[in-house]
Amino acid sequence: MLQVRGLHYRYPAATTPALVDFSLEARRGEILGLLGPNGAGKSTLVAHLAGLLQPAAGQIEFDGEALDDLRRRAPGCIAIAPQDFAFYPMLSVAENLRCFAAASRLSGTAARQAIARALAATRLEDFVATRVEHLSGGLKRRLNLAIALLPTPGLLVLDEPTVGVDPQSRAFLLETVRSLAASGMGVIYTSHYMEEIEAVADRVVIVDRGRVLRQGSLTELLAQARGQVELQLEAPLDADALAALAGEIEGQLEVAGVHLKLDLAATASPVAALARIEARGGRIREARFGRYSLERLFMNLTDTRLRDQ
Amino acid sequence: MMLLALIRKELLALLRDPHALAALFLMPAAFIVIMSLALQNLYAPPLRQLPYAIDSATESPAARRISATWAKAHGTARPLPATPGAVDEALRQGRLAYVLTLDAGLADALSDLDPPRAPVVHLRVEPGLDQGAFRTLQAELASAVGELRAALLQASFTGESPRGSQSILPFMAVEQLGSTQRPVSAVQQNVPAWLVFGMFFVVTAISSLFVQEQHSGALARLAALGVPARIQILAKALPYVGINAIQAALMLTVGAALMPLLGGEALSLAGIHWLALLMMLAATSLAAIGFALLLACLVRTHAQANTLGPLCNLLMAALGGIMVPTFVMPGAMQQLARLSPMNWGLEGLLTVLLRQGDVAEAAPWALRLAVFGILGLALASRLFSRRITP
Repeated sequence: MLQVRGLHYRYPAATTPALVDFSLEARRGEILGLLGPNGAGKSTLVAHLAGLLQPAAGQIEFDGEALDDLRRRAPGCIAIAPQDFAFYPMLSVAENLRCFAAASRLSGTAARQAIARALAATRLEDFVATRVEHLSGGLKRRLNLAIALLPTPGLLVLDEPTVGVDPQSRAFLLETVRSLAASGMGVIYTSHYMEEIEAVADRVVIVDRGRVLRQGSLTELLAQARGQVELQLEAPLDADALAALAGEIEGQLEVAGVHLKLDLAATASPVAALARIEARGGRIREARFGRYSLERLFMNLTDTRLRDQ
Repeated sequence: MMLLALIRKELLALLRDPHALAALFLMPAAFIVIMSLALQNLYAPPLRQLPYAIDSATESPAARRISATWAKAHGTARPLPATPGAVDEALRQGRLAYVLTLDAGLADALSDLDPPRAPVVHLRVEPGLDQGAFRTLQAELASAVGELRAALLQASFTGESPRGSQSILPFMAVEQLGSTQRPVSAVQQNVPAWLVFGMFFVVTAISSLFVQEQHSGALARLAALGVPARIQILAKALPYVGINAIQAALMLTVGAALMPLLGGEALSLAGIHWLALLMMLAATSLAAIGFALLLACLVRTHAQANTLGPLCNLLMAALGGIMVPTFVMPGAMQQLARLSPMNWGLEGLLTVLLRQGDVAEAAPWALRLAVFGILGLALASRLFSRRITP
């Protein structure tokens, strides 16, 4: 459905580009998790999808048609639910929805039906007359989503949709996103909450410094840790034991105090490796084998240093 | 449909912002009432109410005639304090605004063809009396003494007293051109002045909502939904044309109907060119909205929106003759006042309301305002798209 190919963009005053040869694909009925630290280029990508920025190089196509051309014909083909509460707090829920429905070129019956659908999808029917400034954070998030659903988009882009909401609202929002994808809508879901991405995403794209670092299905990405063993011992091993282990284990050994990291050869057995460690006096407190958490994969790819931008 | 919905959004946002409503309607109306009442005396010194006393050293018919003439125009004299020291003290403290002293040789001096060796009539005023009132008293006293001298001389030459009133006023006709046929009042200056000021105060409401929309991402969202920038700008401008129209109707009503009830003079709209008035109001509105949108596109924070707009307005008002009428400014300041768009609005409205100016006479002011407003809108349009991109 959405094809982004070789996208490149640099902000006028910036010294480094915000997007470099950036490519991804979003499919109908699928949730694409977009992960990246601050300054990775997610917002710049979203701004391109919203039509607010024009690519310096590369193409964005939607169902084979250039996004620019399609936007002129059908501006609501891609809807954005931004991270901020992009609506009017002094208006009621219904007034906001009517305003954005009209902005989506909906009027009369079509507008009423779209508003009813959006209210039902986000379960905001009981709050139509409530001024938005009086809504809780969770309800505001739902309104943000409801507005995005008004033009019945083919692709929905959700930018940090659950920031600042309680667990119940988060669970509801995730369930709503799943059901939207199940109805055939494509979804790009950006979040800093790895467990959310793990919970909802069918595929994941990890980006940093404007580049795509890794993309694939969640299973594929997490399986890339095959052969990795991470251990925590009761006490550090002495130098003789470590020197002996380095010669006995088929693979690489990294040691940091009580933490051991093994990168085993394809033919090596993790059970044998653990047995050798125990034989050399190591008492194992915790072991992890064969599967990253998404967060560890993300941190490994994007490094753990603080990002100040 | 899209435009109407966005206009509705602007109006609802404004209606639910009591501070903005107060700034747009209550503040200029309050300024009209307060400033018109406060400056009433500046335009019409209350000479009749000033407390005065007469210190007459003679009971001659001439002295009695001056006292009677003066009392007719200025009310009954207060009792004269007992001693000269008490008189001075009463003047210093302002309990008496002035004292007329008539010397013993008054009648002889006035009947003599030669000028007197020393003054026989003295006017002493309190320290706080303004120059306008002082000069008016001086002129009135000179007139009263002159009339009496003319009558006494005529009697001594012809043996007959003048018939009827000895006042010189029947020989003169005084006329101030304009619709009101009477001197400019504080109301007539203040209504157009504070109306223009109030109309320019749309800047606060417009820029405040604009910054909020920008920060929340609502503007970007509307743009992402395909709402053209020109529609967004138009939706922000048009409601405030209506708001400015309501302001104009309200302020003119305050001047014409409320001020007389509060003891002030009424604004007279009789005989004005209504088309010229509408033209001036439309041009002022265009300038105010263009300026407001430009400023809204320039500021980035609520703090800037809430301070820069009012600050610019206050400077334009102070410079443009809103707070202090330009006719009391020195020449150089009057030239500077011509730089303020508020001055263009004020002078244009005064042309229509005071001088019965028609469309052609008000057109130069309206043209300046229109050019200013269109430039503001054009620049705002250019800046607008930068405000919605990340």
